[in-house]
Amino acid sequence: MNDLLQVSNVVAGYGDGPAILNGASVKVESGKVHCIIGPNGAGKSTLLKAIVGMLRVREGDVTFKGESVKGLRPDQILRKGICFVPQERALFPKMTVRENLRMGGYSMRDKSELERRIDEIEERFLILKERRDQQAGTLSGGQQQTLSMARTMILKPEVVMLDEPSLGLAPKIVAEIFDIMRVMTEEGITILLVEQNALMGLKHADWGVVLDLGRTLFEGPGKEILNDPRIQELYLGGKKAA
Amino acid sequence: MIMADMVQILVLGLALGGVYALMGSGLSLVFGVMRIVNLAHPSLVMVGAYIAYWAFRLGGVDPMITLPVALVILAATGVLLYKLVFEREARSAKYSEMTVLLTFALAMVVEGALGTAFTNTQRVTSPDYATDAFFIGSVFIPKGQLYSGIVSLTIISALALFLKYSAFGNAIRATTQNRDAAELLGVNVNLVGLVSFAIGIGLAGAAGALVSFVFSFFPAKHWEWIAILMSLVVLGGMGSILGTVLAAFILSVIAAYVGFFFGATWSTLTFFVALFVVLLVRPQGLFGEKPELA
Repeated sequence: MNDLLQVSNVVAGYGDGPAILNGASVKVESGKVHCIIGPNGAGKSTLLKAIVGMLRVREGDVTFKGESVKGLRPDQILRKGICFVPQERALFPKMTVRENLRMGGYSMRDKSELERRIDEIEERFLILKERRDQQAGTLSGGQQQTLSMARTMILKPEVVMLDEPSLGLAPKIVAEIFDIMRVMTEEGITILLVEQNALMGLKHADWGVVLDLGRTLFEGPGKEILNDPRIQELYLGGKKAA
Repeated sequence: MIMADMVQILVLGLALGGVYALMGSGLSLVFGVMRIVNLAHPSLVMVGAYIAYWAFRLGGVDPMITLPVALVILAATGVLLYKLVFEREARSAKYSEMTVLLTFALAMVVEGALGTAFTNTQRVTSPDYATDAFFIGSVFIPKGQLYSGIVSLTIISALALFLKYSAFGNAIRATTQNRDAAELLGVNVNLVGLVSFAIGIGLAGAAGALVSFVFSFFPAKHWEWIAILMSLVVLGGMGSILGTVLAAFILSVIAAYVGFFFGATWSTLTFFVALFVVLLVRPQGLFGEKPELA
């Protein structure tokens, strides 16, 4: 009905290589947290890259607010209001924290408005204010992830897509990352999250999507998926053996 | 008077460092943004040197006046080269190998063209200051080298300020550090590549105007320079402009001492030995990224 972003039967892959996605479909509803889970190689990251235009969508369609955004470049997708934080956190290690935030608003025309928003972000994430003149590469893993996520908020996007934000972080820090996600949803940002840590992801998600072999297996409210026996099967390898 | 000699050599080494730094920073910028090891860089410096030489010889124009002209002509050449050659290669899977071969071929073409047009005679531009010197006590500072050093550092500082404080300069640095991330944030990385390449080649032209009165030159001399420049870029840390500039001063001072103690023939060897030692001991150089093991 009210889908903000809709991925329908998408087929995509890297370069001229084999298709990684074989008809994946996802519906993203405004204001909610969506979590895509699935085993290694299921095509989770590939799906985000296809949405954002880093990979060519060979078949199927991607629509945003009812309008096809298939074939647009990453910078055009960004201007539509969809931000993507890839797995590698996408920071500029030798630029300062403040310069990294400024790059987040590179596509903004009004530079004084940009500086004002950076100040706002710094007030909300005080660690970034404290470390503003430090090189981003010298921050801890959790701080780098905070910076990556906070940076997307500068553009006040409608959708933020996060690729495994908890990767390589200690459990306590992971909890902080999910707190930031909550802050983002309070701002009205819709979240599409890919998580290897299915338990953690689904616990915080309104809607879960299970992907395997490039297809959507099933989807539903996060907590229901969490208790679905099929999840056990998928992650523990086949049906319960005798 | 050994002390005075030591100071004298330090001064001469520092005075030469500036021009090397300017040549190296253009090479470093192009490598940082485009991942092109531009083996043709010094051959394009040579083109700048010939522009300055003929402007002086035919019109009596001071190389300092020709410098901005050489910069613009070479920058325009850079735009053409980028559009005709490197932009197409950017999508190639064998990009790195291809650019090494292409720039090598380009260097040969430029050398051949210069040799055909201007013969292999040694040339040097000789404005008054090129053969004059300041004296501080018994230490002399050749004016030509001093001026070329000052102009080089001024140009490099302007480049550094542009990279640090302008929005487009920030986009260039961001692209150097993480190309995909820059693209995701809306940076037109192809335009960044084009502009950086043009600036890098433009700097080669500017350096050429200075080189024209600091060294005598002939078309094939660029082979010696590429070896020197590679050692600067490697010691500085691939792609780090600050590193390249520091490396230029460090190595040209060491080379000056080596020249004094062991004779001029050994002086150039300093750069090549440094290249090997850095690669063996600290491959990331002064300011480069640690090489990834995985």
